[in-house]
Amino acid sequence: MATKKFMIGVVPVGDTPVFVAKATAAHISGYLNLPTEILPALDTPSFAYDEKRLQYNAGIIIKTYEALEFGCEKVVALLDIDLFIPLFTHVFGEAKLGGKCALASIFRLKMERDGSCPAPSLVYERAAKVALHELGHLFKLRHCEDNRCLMHFSGDLEQLDRTPIYFCRYCNRFFKDALVDNSDSSFNS
Amino acid sequence: MKENMSIMVVDDEMIIRESFSHWFEKSGHKVSTAASGFEALDKLKEYPFDLLFVDIKMPGMDGIEFLEIVKKEYPDTFVVIITAYGSIESSVKAMKLGASDYLLKPFKPEQLNLVLEKVAQQKKLTGEIDYLKGCLDTMTRFDNIIGQSKAMVDIFELIPEVAESEASVLITGETGTGKELIAKAIHAKSKRNAHPFIAINCGAIPDSLLESELFGHQKGAFTGADHARKGFLEVVSGGTLFLDEIGEISTKMQVNLLRVLEEKKITQLGGREPIDVDFRLISATRRNLEQDIKQRNFREDFYYRINVITIEVPPLRKRKPDIPLLVEHFVKKYSRETAKRIDRVTDSAMELLNNFEWPGNIRELENAIERAVVLSKSRTLDRKDFSFIRSAPVEPEKTVSLSEMEKEFIRQALEQNEWNITRTSKVLGLHRVTLQKKVKRLNLRKSG
Ligand SMILES: Nc1ncnc2c1ncn2[C@@H]1O[C@H](COP(=O)(O)OP(=O)(O)OP(=O)(O)O)[C@@H](O)[C@H]1O
Ligand SMILES: [Zn+2]
Ligand SMILES: [Zn+2]
Repeated sequence: MATKKFMIGVVPVGDTPVFVAKATAAHISGYLNLPTEILPALDTPSFAYDEKRLQYNAGIIIKTYEALEFGCEKVVALLDIDLFIPLFTHVFGEAKLGGKCALASIFRLKMERDGSCPAPSLVYERAAKVALHELGHLFKLRHCEDNRCLMHFSGDLEQLDRTPIYFCRYCNRFFKDALVDNSDSSFNS
Repeated sequence: MKENMSIMVVDDEMIIRESFSHWFEKSGHKVSTAASGFEALDKLKEYPFDLLFVDIKMPGMDGIEFLEIVKKEYPDTFVVIITAYGSIESSVKAMKLGASDYLLKPFKPEQLNLVLEKVAQQKKLTGEIDYLKGCLDTMTRFDNIIGQSKAMVDIFELIPEVAESEASVLITGETGTGKELIAKAIHAKSKRNAHPFIAINCGAIPDSLLESELFGHQKGAFTGADHARKGFLEVVSGGTLFLDEIGEISTKMQVNLLRVLEEKKITQLGGREPIDVDFRLISATRRNLEQDIKQRNFREDFYYRINVITIEVPPLRKRKPDIPLLVEHFVKKYSRETAKRIDRVTDSAMELLNNFEWPGNIRELENAIERAVVLSKSRTLDRKDFSFIRSAPVEPEKTVSLSEMEKEFIRQALEQNEWNITRTSKVLGLHRVTLQKKVKRLNLRKSG
C-alpha cells in the first residue's frame, strides 16, 4: 500500500550548505508544484574521485546513488565538487533519461569567469536551474530547441543565466504527461 | 538544429561509447555504437548513418584507415574524429582525408554542439543540392514515366500535344516498354481526364466475349446472358478507351469497331436502339501491323482509323541512358515499400544491368529490382544480388522476317508439348487465348 504522495527528495552532499538544498527544494515545489523533502546529508563521494583529472566522475556517483534506498520516487543530489563525464571537461549536473537520481553541483556556479564571486541569491538560482533541468531528464525530457526553455542545454554560466527557470509549453506538457505516467505506476505498486 | 541525425560512435573504450550515447539520447538523436572499425563497417552496410564519431586510436583498424574506407564507400556520411592530446598530426591528416571536424578529448559540451551544428549545416547544404538535383529530375520524367534518352524526351514532348487533340493514337513497342503508362499520361493531360480511363487487353479475351465486353448486351442475348450489361464503350463515356494488343482482334471485330469510330453509336448485343458513345481511342500493339495488313490479317481501313498519330516506344536495350535512372527509381520505390533502406547499387551491378538485353523491357527490369531489394540483406545491391537474371537471348537476325521466326518458334514449342495449347502457352508465357489466335493467324497446323 503506497500512501505517500509522489515525492522528490533533495539530498545535500558533503560541504553543500543545507540552505542551498532548501532553496532548491522550494524552487522545485514552486515551479513544478511537486512536494519535496530534504533528506539527510551524504558524505563527499571520494570513491568517484579521478586521480588523473582531479575531478569527480558523475557517472560513478549516479550508479552508486541509484542503488541506495531514499524512500522517494526521484532524488536530486546537490554537491559542491567538480563533476565530469569522460567525454567532457566538466558538467554542471548529470542525469540519465528516465533515471532515478540526478546530480547538480554548485562548484562551478559560485565563481564567475573573471574570478569574482556572484551574489549568493544568483548561486541559488543557478543551482535550482541545474537541478530542475536534470530533474527534467529523470522524467524523460530531452534537450529542447527553444532557448527560452529550461530544457535547453547550457554549457556555460552565461547561457545558464540566460535560460529561464521554467519549461516551454511543449516541455511542460511533456513533463505533466510523464508525471501522470510515473505516479500511476507508483500508486499501483 | 531541428532535424535529428542518426549517429554512430566508433570507439574501443566502452566508457566513451556510453558517455556519447547518453548525451546524444538526451539531445534526441538516434545513436548506435561500435567497438571497432570492423563492427562499424558492418553496421554501415545495414543502416545509413548521417554522422560518425570515430576515435583515432583503435586496435586493429585505426580511425584513419576506417575514415578512408567510409569516405570511399559512403561519401555522404560525415565523420568527426576524436583525438587525445598529442595526436594533432593525425587530426590534420584526418581533415585532409575528408573528416568534417575533430574534437580533442575531453571537450566542452558546447564544442560538441558546435560540431553538430556544423554538420547539420553541411547536411542541409547537400540536402539542398539533392533538392536541386530533384528539380532537374522533373526534366527527365513525365508524371511517373522515367527517361532521359532522346526517344523518351521526344515522347515527353509529344504527350501534351497529343493530349490536346482528339485523334486516335497508336502506340507501338515491345512488351513492357511502357505503352500503357504513356496512354494513361495522355489521358491524364487531356480534357477527358475527369472521365474514366479503361484499359482492355484484347489479347487475353476471346473474341466472342470481347464483343459483349465492349458493346454490352441485353438480357438473354445469348446463353448465359442472365442480366443486361453495359459495354465498356458505353461505360467509358467521355473518357479514354485503351485497347492493348489491338493486333489480336479478329477482322470481324475490326469492322464492328470501325463502324463505332465512324458513327459514334453502338448497338448492344440483342438490342435495337443505337446508343450514342463518346470516347477517345488509344490502341497499342507489339506487332508489326503493316505486315499483318499485307498478310490480310489486319484491315487497312481500320488501321488508318486507329493510327492517326503513332508513338513508337523503343525497347529498353535501344535506350540505355534510361537504365540508370530507372534502376534508381525502382530501388527507391521498392526500398520504400519494403521499408529497407537500400541506397546504392554497386558499379559492377549497374554494369550488369546496363548490358543486359531486357527482353521483357522495363517490366522485367522493375521485377528484377523488386526481387533483388526484397532478398537483399544489406543496404547496397551488388552484382550477386542479380544472379537470377537470365543470360541475354540473341537478337533475331534482321534478314528473317519476324513473323516467320515467330511462327517457327511457336511451331517448335507446340510440337514439344504435343500441341497442347494450355501447356504450350505456359511455356511461351503467352495467354492461352493469345496463343490460340496466333495459331489461327499464323496458319499453324499439326503436321503428319
Ligand atoms: N518509362 C518508365 N518509367 C517508369 N516505369 C515504367 C516506364 N515504362 C514502363 N514502366 C513500368 O513498367 C511496367 C510495364 O509498363 P506498361 O504496362 O505500360 O507496358 P506495356 O508496354 O503496356 O506492356 P504490355 O505490352 O506487356 O502490356 C509498368 O509497371 C510500368 O509502370
Ligand atoms: Zn541536459
Ligand atoms: Zn522546451
